[in-house]
Amino acid sequence: MTWTKPWNSKEGFLIGGGLLLVGLLLQLVAGPIDWSLLARPVNLILLVLFLAVVGGMYSLRNRVYAFEWMMHAGAAVPCLTYAAALTILMGLFPQLHSGGVPWLSRMLHFWPFVLIWAWLVEISALAALNHLLRWKLREIPFILNHAGVALAVTAATLGNADVQTLRMTVFAGQAGWRALDEAGMTVEAGVGIELHRFIMEEYPDHTPRRFASDVTVHTKEGKRVTGTVEVNRPMRADGWKIYQYGYDVTRGPESDCSEFLLVRDPWLPWVYAGIFMMLAGSLCLMLLMAPKPLKT
Amino acid sequence: MSWDSFVWFALGAVLLWGAGAFFAWKDRKAGVYACTLVGLAVFFSFILGLWISLERPPLQTLGETRLWYSFFLPLAGVIVYGRWRYKWILSFSTLLSLVFICVNLFKPGIHSKSLMPALQSPWFVPHVIVYMFSYALLGAATLMAVYMLIRKDRTTEQEISLTDNLVYVGLAFLSFGMLFGALWAKVAWGAYWSWDPKETWAAASWLCYLLYLHWRKARPGKWKGACVILLLSFVCLQICWWGINFLPSARGLSVHTY
Repeated sequence: MTWTKPWNSKEGFLIGGGLLLVGLLLQLVAGPIDWSLLARPVNLILLVLFLAVVGGMYSLRNRVYAFEWMMHAGAAVPCLTYAAALTILMGLFPQLHSGGVPWLSRMLHFWPFVLIWAWLVEISALAALNHLLRWKLREIPFILNHAGVALAVTAATLGNADVQTLRMTVFAGQAGWRALDEAGMTVEAGVGIELHRFIMEEYPDHTPRRFASDVTVHTKEGKRVTGTVEVNRPMRADGWKIYQYGYDVTRGPESDCSEFLLVRDPWLPWVYAGIFMMLAGSLCLMLLMAPKPLKT
Repeated sequence: MSWDSFVWFALGAVLLWGAGAFFAWKDRKAGVYACTLVGLAVFFSFILGLWISLERPPLQTLGETRLWYSFFLPLAGVIVYGRWRYKWILSFSTLLSLVFICVNLFKPGIHSKSLMPALQSPWFVPHVIVYMFSYALLGAATLMAVYMLIRKDRTTEQEISLTDNLVYVGLAFLSFGMLFGALWAKVAWGAYWSWDPKETWAAASWLCYLLYLHWRKARPGKWKGACVILLLSFVCLQICWWGINFLPSARGLSVHTY
């Protein structure tokens, strides 16, 4: 077998195989990935490292052929093949907190899965940068799609450990500041919720039609926001989003308490920026990039 | 206006859309636009009448959302026709619209079905409609792939290019559906992506169609391989749409069970 340029997909399949191997070794040596370790400032350091790798590869593209090759569709084919295959495996095996099939039942903590996705983000970012710096108007859809994917997945992954998700139960006429975190520990929430009234409406056949809570939210600076929290209509206060989550199911519409989900995600604006870039990119894909009309 | 008069409006609209589809095969553009648009107006007047009589937008029950699919399909069809001049697109959209109309006509019991609070959102209709439209386009691309794999070397450049077009537009709508879903999930559940089994399969399908796109760019001559990718992608799409109801990995774990 002679090694010739240009590379196509074969080299990419080898690189992917190498990543799988490294991932398996890491899995055996370091164990499953513990995402909570990425909490600030580790995620910021990783972000700087990631940007340095992308920038470094871009600036060395003329000296290292592999970096030049990574910017092209031929490199995307093997990467997407591995990513699709691992994502399909994830769909085939029940994802559980414990038990199940080793590795495959906890795919999000499985090194090979995460390394392949990191590779996907890496080459998307590299391709986006390459097209951005050779700026032309007609490159906009390409840049939006590739930078959008890279931004949304990077921000979602690195920001995950900084997301705070709390559950708070409040009784009517009372105010609560204490909530349970994901590990079930009692913590003081960033906002306090005073419940005026829990509302549950039903259809004639007694299936639920509406869950809502009339509340006043108190911030630490002493601000008060009064409003209604409802399914599909969260309230916002002090960087927190407050969702209607539950009620006393044994009492149904007579429930005198309401359960709220409180979520704070400092990386959310970056994820949204990525999502909106992808939406704009898809719109372009539909309107501009499809090949010319056919004469049949 | 009530559901009792639906059959007459639907009949009028479908006949007009059928006439529009017929004119598309005959290359008579004025006839295409006139018939399709009048048909859309007839159908929309029913939606409007129902809206007024219900004193709320008819977006709540599954029957009502099917009403909107039936309306949007020929609308999307005429837009695609205006852009790419596919002769078959209006026949296809009319047929699909007819299927949804028939479900509404022959299953009237579901009109009263109540909608659970999680689904009561302005995102519900666009999320589902763009997915349905994308499934329709990607279904058509799958048929093309089967056709080309059977005909092998008699396949023409035009057929390959038509398949590319269908995937480009289908993938754009698939992305809309997925991203609308993420934006909605954030509002409804507090998290834009949870790797719920439905979401995992949506991501897998999306990656497969992206693979097709990049494969076509990287190796344009190897179209047979691209056709095989399309078949596998469509299998993923079916698992995502209804197959997960039968997958043990998703049973009892998915929040997408309505």
